[in-house]
Amino acid sequence: MKKFKFGTIFVLALVFVVAFGLSPVRAESPSEGGDLVVALGEDPEHLNPALTTGYPVAAATANVYSALTWRSEDGEAQPDLAKSWDVSDDYLEYTFYLQEDVRWHDGEAFTSADVKFSMEELLANYHGRFQDVAEKIADIETPDDYTVVITLEEPYAPFLSSMTVFDAPILPRHLLEDVDDYGDADITTSPVGTGPFQFVEWERGDRIVLERYDDYHGQVAYMDRLYYNILPDTASRTAALETGEVDYIMGHYFPRADIPRFRENPDIEVWQGTRIPALWFAFVNHEHPELGDPLVRQALMHATDRDLIIELSQEGLGNYKIGPMGASFDFVDFPETNYENLYPYNPDRARELLDEAGVDSLDIEIIVDPAREDLMQAAEIMQDNFRQIDVNLSIDTQEREVMIENVYEKRNYDLSMQSFTSGGDPASGYHRLYTTQDFGTPFVSATGYSKEEVDELLSEAASTPDVEERKAVYEEALNIIAQDVPILALYEEESVDVNNAKLRGLRESLDVRDKLNKIWWSE
Amino acid sequence: MSKKGEGRSLGQYALLRIAQALPLIIAIIIINFLLINLAPGDPVTALIGEFPVPQEYVEEMRANFGLDQNIAVRLVRYLGNVLRGDLGFSFNYRVPVLDLVLNRLGRTIILMISAITFASIVGISLGVAAAKWRNSFIDNFAVAFATIGYSIPVFWSGQILILIFAIWLGWLPSGGLQSIRGDYFGWALIVDRARHMILPMLALSLRYMALTTRLTRSSLLETLNSDFILAAKSRGVKSRGILWNHGLRNAAMPIITVVGFHFTFMVAGSALVETVFGWPGIGRLLYTSITARDFPVLLGILLVVSVAVILVTLITDLLYAFVDPRVTYD
Repeated sequence: MKKFKFGTIFVLALVFVVAFGLSPVRAESPSEGGDLVVALGEDPEHLNPALTTGYPVAAATANVYSALTWRSEDGEAQPDLAKSWDVSDDYLEYTFYLQEDVRWHDGEAFTSADVKFSMEELLANYHGRFQDVAEKIADIETPDDYTVVITLEEPYAPFLSSMTVFDAPILPRHLLEDVDDYGDADITTSPVGTGPFQFVEWERGDRIVLERYDDYHGQVAYMDRLYYNILPDTASRTAALETGEVDYIMGHYFPRADIPRFRENPDIEVWQGTRIPALWFAFVNHEHPELGDPLVRQALMHATDRDLIIELSQEGLGNYKIGPMGASFDFVDFPETNYENLYPYNPDRARELLDEAGVDSLDIEIIVDPAREDLMQAAEIMQDNFRQIDVNLSIDTQEREVMIENVYEKRNYDLSMQSFTSGGDPASGYHRLYTTQDFGTPFVSATGYSKEEVDELLSEAASTPDVEERKAVYEEALNIIAQDVPILALYEEESVDVNNAKLRGLRESLDVRDKLNKIWWSE
Repeated sequence: MSKKGEGRSLGQYALLRIAQALPLIIAIIIINFLLINLAPGDPVTALIGEFPVPQEYVEEMRANFGLDQNIAVRLVRYLGNVLRGDLGFSFNYRVPVLDLVLNRLGRTIILMISAITFASIVGISLGVAAAKWRNSFIDNFAVAFATIGYSIPVFWSGQILILIFAIWLGWLPSGGLQSIRGDYFGWALIVDRARHMILPMLALSLRYMALTTRLTRSSLLETLNSDFILAAKSRGVKSRGILWNHGLRNAAMPIITVVGFHFTFMVAGSALVETVFGWPGIGRLLYTSITARDFPVLLGILLVVSVAVILVTLITDLLYAFVDPRVTYD
C-alpha cells in the first residue's frame, strides 16, 4: 500500500515537472490547427479586389489573393509574389523577379503574364487607388515567365508600397482574359488566388469560409480555416467576441465606447496604435461667400476644440497636434505647419479673425452621415463651439449615398464631416485633399480649392523618392496649405483592435487585414 | 346554424380576390419603381469603393445596370421582365434577385411562423387562463405581461436576451444563422440552426404574445358575458365545454384578424430582429439594399412582400368562413 502511494507520487511529480517544465516553451511556439473567426460589419459587394477599394471586399480577399509585395509592420516592402527586385538609379525602372512554382488555387501556374494582365487590364481601369500609379507607368514588360519590368514616366515615391494586395492585387489571367464583363465573371463571387487561404463558400449575409492552401508560396497558414462572420449590429459583434463565437474584431467594426469594457475582460486583448494613418476633417465649400475667405476658415479652426472632440468621440484615442497631412508621417510634420501651433483652440482669437474678415454672424450647415457616430459627435461639439463666436451651425444628417451626391457631385453644401485614409503614403491618400479636382468626382477634395503652386509641389513630392529631398518639398507645400486652411483638419485617429487573448502572431502586416496565415492559437 | 349563403363558392371567391389583386400589384410595382429611382443616391458610388475611379468605369457600370436609359424605358422594360418572372440581377450581390429574395424570404418565414405559432399558443393560453380566473394572480400577471411585453421595443429585448442567454448563461448562441465554425449536416444541421433561432424567435414573438394575450382575454370575457353562454350554462353544459366550444370559438374572429395582421407587421419587425441577431433574412436584405441603393433587390423584396401580404389577407378571409358559418362570399 505504502509502496504504491510512493510510486504514484513519484509518477505525479514527474508529470508535473515535465508539464510545467515544457509548457512555457510549448505555449510560445506556433502550433498548427484550429479556426479563426473574424467579424465583418457588412457583406462585401463581391469578392473581386481589383474592381473596388471598398473596405469589406479587401478584408475578405486579402488572404485569398497575393501581390508582388506586402508591407511589414514598419511599412517596409517585403517579398511576396516577387522574391526580389532591382530599382534603377533614376528610380524609373523596377525589375521584379517572381517566385517560381507558384500555383493558382485551381492548379494553373502563376506567371509574369498574370501580373501584366492584372495591372494593365484590371487595376488601371477599375481600381481607385491604382490610378495614381497607372498614370506614372510607361510600360510593363515580361521578358520571361518569372520577370516583370515596369518602367515609369517619372519617379513615384510610393511605388513599391503601392504593390500590395490592397493596392495592386494580382488576379489570374486565364480566368479573366475571355470575360466581357468582369462584374459578372465567376471569379468575382468565387475568387481564385495565390494567397495562403483558398475560397470555400460565401453564404451571403452570414459567413465567408476560407481554408488553408497547402501549396502556398510563403509561410503555410497555421489555421485550418478562416471564417468571416457577417454581423451588421455593433452590439452583437461585441457580444459575439465575449461569448467566443468571434475571435477578432478590427477597429473599424466596434464602437469606441466598448473599449473600457474590453479592457476589463481578461479573455480579450486590446491593441492600440497607428498603422495606416487616417485623417478626420470637415470639408469646406470655398464657393460659399464667407467660407471662401481663408480668414473665416482660420477662425473656424480656432473655434474648434479638437482635443475635446477626441476625448468625447474617440475615447481619447487620436492626435490633434497635426498639420494639413497629419503628423504620423515624419516627412510631413513641421512645427510651423502644425495647426495646434497655428490655430490653437481660442474662441476670442476666432472672433477677432471673423471681425477682420468683416463677418458679423454666420448661418451655415454641416452634412454628416448619421451612421458615423464619431462624426456626428464631432459635429455636435463644433455646433456648440461655433455658437460662442456667433456662428450658427445646423447639422444636416444625410445617408452616405445622398451625402456623396450632395457633397461631391453637386457641391451643394457648406461643411461636411469626413474621414480619409492615407493609404499608407501621403501621396496615395492625402494629396487628393489639396490638389485641384474636377467638379463631381467622389472621394477627392470637394472644396473647390485650387492653387497651381500647391499642385506642382505635391506632384514633385510624389515623384521624389529620396526622403530628405521629399521632406523639403513638402515643407514648402504645407506652408502654403496651412495658411489657406482648405479643410478643417481635426485629428488623426489611433486604431484599436480587439481579439481573443489566446491568439498569437496578429498584426504582422502594416494593414491588419492581410497575412492572417501568421496567426495561431497559443493552446 | 344558418346555411352557407347562395353566393359564390370558396374557390370562386379566392379566384376573384386574386384577380382583383393583380392591378394592385402592378400599381405597387410602378409606384415603388418611381419612388426608388427618384430618391437621391447613386448605386454606382456604393460599388467603386473609397477612392476615385476613371469616369469610363462609372459609365460602363451604369450601362451594364441599364441606368443610362431614360426612366420610362427602364420602367417598361422592368414590367416586361417581371411578367416573364425575371426580377433582374442584384447590383450588390451579383446574383439573380429572385433567388436571393426567395432564399432570404424562406428564412424570414421560418422565423415568423415559429414566432407567430409560439406567440399564439402562449398568448391564447394565457388569455384564456386570465379570462377564466378573472382577477386572480394569473389574470394580473397576464395583464401586466401584456402591457410590458407590448411596450418593449424589439431591439432592446433582443439585446437583453443576448445578454442573459448568450453572455451570462452561455446556453444559446448570440446570433447568426448557424455555428460559424465547422459544417453540420442532416440532423446536426437542423439542431444547430434551431438553436440559433430560439433567441430571435423569442424576441420577435414577445410583442405579439402580449397583444394576443390581451385580445384573447378581453374578447373571451365579452363572449362569456353574453346571453348564449348563460343559456348554455342553464342547459347544463360543462364549464370546460362552455369555455372552449362556445366561448373561444365565438371569440376567435378578432384573434384571427389580429394574427393575420401580425404577419404583415412582422416583416417590419423582422428587419430589426434580423439585424440584432445577424439572421440573414429578408428584413436585413431590405436594409442593406436600401443603403447600397440596390434597386433591383429593393423592388424584388417589395414585390414579393406585397404578394405575400395579399395572400395572407386572403387566407385570413377564408379562415373566417371556417370559424364563423355566417360569413358568405357575396
